[in-house]
Amino acid sequence: MTQMLKRKKSIFRKIQENRKIQSALTFILPVLFGILFLILWQCGAINSLLHTDTFTLPLPSRINSILSQNIVKIMGNVKATVTVAISGLFLGSLIGYGIAVFASVCPRWGKGGLSIVAACNAIPIVALAPVMTNWTRTFSKNAEIRSMAAKILVVMIVCIANMSINAYRGLTEIKPYSEDMMAMYAAKPGVILRKLRIPNSVPYIFTALRVAVPSSVISAVVSEYFAEYVTGVGRQIRENIVQSQYSTAWAYIVAACLIGITLYAILLILESILLKKRV
Amino acid sequence: MNRLLNKKWFSVVFWTLILVVAWETGAFLVAGTKRTPENILPHLYQIIGAAFSTNKVTSDQTALQIVLINAGQTLLRAAIGFLLGTVLGFGLALLMKLSGIVEKIVFPYLMLIQMIPILGMAPIILSITGSINTSRIIIAAILTFYPVATNTLAGFNSVEKEKHELMYIYAANKFTVYTKLLIPGSVPYFFTGLKISAPMAITASILVDTLQGDGGLGCMLSQSLKHAMSIYVFWLIIFFSAFIGIFSSYLMGVLELLFTPQKHAERKKEGK
Repeated sequence: MTQMLKRKKSIFRKIQENRKIQSALTFILPVLFGILFLILWQCGAINSLLHTDTFTLPLPSRINSILSQNIVKIMGNVKATVTVAISGLFLGSLIGYGIAVFASVCPRWGKGGLSIVAACNAIPIVALAPVMTNWTRTFSKNAEIRSMAAKILVVMIVCIANMSINAYRGLTEIKPYSEDMMAMYAAKPGVILRKLRIPNSVPYIFTALRVAVPSSVISAVVSEYFAEYVTGVGRQIRENIVQSQYSTAWAYIVAACLIGITLYAILLILESILLKKRV
Repeated sequence: MNRLLNKKWFSVVFWTLILVVAWETGAFLVAGTKRTPENILPHLYQIIGAAFSTNKVTSDQTALQIVLINAGQTLLRAAIGFLLGTVLGFGLALLMKLSGIVEKIVFPYLMLIQMIPILGMAPIILSITGSINTSRIIIAAILTFYPVATNTLAGFNSVEKEKHELMYIYAANKFTVYTKLLIPGSVPYFFTGLKISAPMAITASILVDTLQGDGGLGCMLSQSLKHAMSIYVFWLIIFFSAFIGIFSSYLMGVLELLFTPQKHAERKKEGK
């Protein structure tokens, strides 16, 4: 036994047990991988792997130059997509939370409604987008506002289900005894809701948002395909491919990825600020 | 009456009825004010009627035939992509659990891939592969892949420490730990991933259809929207794809019960 303790640990073992090195590795390894990937791509290895030419899959340097040349136009389209994604996300989450509160206050009626909302979640976006475009046709004379409303509606519907299911769990999965204690205090349902259920649901709201933020960007992009008014990152991807300007299309794809990543990062920062306060 | 109210399905039926009533009210309003109400909001019975009518919409097919034949084409590709994505996702999760280095490299990218609008990339993938069928399968596979991978990994990590300790006491080797403990433990999480990704695979497949005109639900959808054929085909496809999306998610739930009989038994007990 003592011999085993005295034996020197191998370097490999030491690295494995060192916390600092391990946490540094979680950051360094993916970055290295990303850089390697970009280098391979730039050298044309990815193209030869996929059997494509640099026309359909341009090199990173080319995409980058197009991004910087058309930055004004791209930003205009990014703005359109982000507006749709965020307003849809906001409205949808608000309505979804409302449904969840309703379902937790009167479960007898609410639960069925909740399962219908959950079923709505499985409706493909492709089916929703053209319907919404049809419904908003008389909403406004201006095609820009009209198609904006249609797109926001699609994103909203996608977000409602997600938020309502998660928030409902947050509102009902309460620590044991806390509900009993509320009953002992003879608290009114409104008070229980305000002091117990709603605070308890905050972490669940963020769980929902973590799924909802990427999917709101994706639904915004897809609903642009079916919208009347030609604007937004998703629509530009398609328009540029139809004109076989693949490099420009790739620039828009990169822009779309950046939107998603930025929104997600903002969410994570918000979450760390808000949840830290609670603890 | 009260007993009827307490049934779980009762409120589901109640809300469905409310939705139907809302739809029909809307349809009446639209019918009164619009010149072509069927483009915006047809009555439900009109849609059902269109499904069962024998009038031919194209030269040799009725509306229902068009929908079903094209649906077969689309869903088959969605299913292949879905299966492929499931296998890959599960495999990657297993690999990530086996090797810490792989997990460290891949996990952030798994998160990043969620941010990439794959559906937005559909046209590009189409031009890379050149074949609509392959691109349909690839996109469905990518979309299936990450919910399955992340959820399964979460399932592997959710196995309690006590169980690991028990396995250690038994001096179980790695293979046994995986087959007897980790993989069974991850099954519920795995199915959560499948439930999320099944409708997504179908969405992807339909979306890729709209890009090129050689059949499939999405292709018919855009043709019908452009009034190349009866607008009821459009409504049929909308309802059909909504139904298939919901059904696919439900099917995964049924499969889950088949694979985890003990959970089914527990649920039954709770019900009593």
